[in-house]
Amino acid sequence: MKLKSAQKVHYDAGPNMTPLVDIVMVILIFLMLTGSFVVNEIFLRNNVALVKKGQSANVAPNVPLDEPLEIRVDSEGSENWVAQAGGYQVRNSREKLAALLTNMRKELNASGTTTEKIQVVLSPGRNTKYKHLVEVQQAALEAKLVKIAFSQAH
Amino acid sequence: MKGHRIPESHVTHPNVTPLIDVVMCLIIFYMLVAKWGVATGADERIDLPVSFQGVKIMDMGNTVTLNVRAAFEMPVVTTLNPRTGMTEEVKLMDGQQRPLLKLLKYLRGQNENFKVIIRADQDLDYRFLEPVLVTCFEAKVKDVNFATREGSAKGS
Repeated sequence: MKLKSAQKVHYDAGPNMTPLVDIVMVILIFLMLTGSFVVNEIFLRNNVALVKKGQSANVAPNVPLDEPLEIRVDSEGSENWVAQAGGYQVRNSREKLAALLTNMRKELNASGTTTEKIQVVLSPGRNTKYKHLVEVQQAALEAKLVKIAFSQAH
Repeated sequence: MKGHRIPESHVTHPNVTPLIDVVMCLIIFYMLVAKWGVATGADERIDLPVSFQGVKIMDMGNTVTLNVRAAFEMPVVTTLNPRTGMTEEVKLMDGQQRPLLKLLKYLRGQNENFKVIIRADQDLDYRFLEPVLVTCFEAKVKDVNFATREGSAKGS
């Protein structure tokens, strides 16, 4: 009787999955090792590459020149920055700088200069850190100033 | 009369169906999030500054990516060489030659509305960035974009 039960037919339902699992595992390990992930990158846009000292950003003939709004940016060490615009100075606060620039924009708008005609010129020092320039550029964007360019180092 | 009995199933190996399900999900995930065939020349070692005000560029076909690093007094600029598919250095000055200016002028000649993407380390001093911007200005590049990492709008 024992021998009879051992001789029972073995029923294996479905296809053999072992080769599939092998291949799929190889693909998975390959993807995990070689894949570089999409990093969320966003871009801050300048309408011109650079504004040279004493020049306007738009040099096309018969086009009125933009109203320049210069922001002087300096780094104080690796973490602190100071921005000067319109005779005011702001330290390490993007929000305060954005508020100042918003007021300046409103004043220019009130005097007949449209926002599209305001050319923000960021004037960094030679040792101004790039991240501090990004902070100031963001403050300008928060103030709805869209035409932004860098100038040569002061 | 003795009826036929359905034989008992003796499956000795484990059920691999849930494993295949999970693995397939992982493969689909990796295929969706991994970058495939996109070679922009971006140097992933560069520590980009964080911003929240930037925009996304949908058409990366009209762009040239310039990686800017500091080295002594002059910046080192690398970009994708479309011939080799490798990221290679483009010198600002090479004796009397100006290879970067030549490249940008050539690209602008091909497509007037091409964009330059500048990738620079967040702690880079402006003196290293300035020569690259001057070169873009001389090549009459209209659209300069600074790559940043997307972050939150927390106060500075």
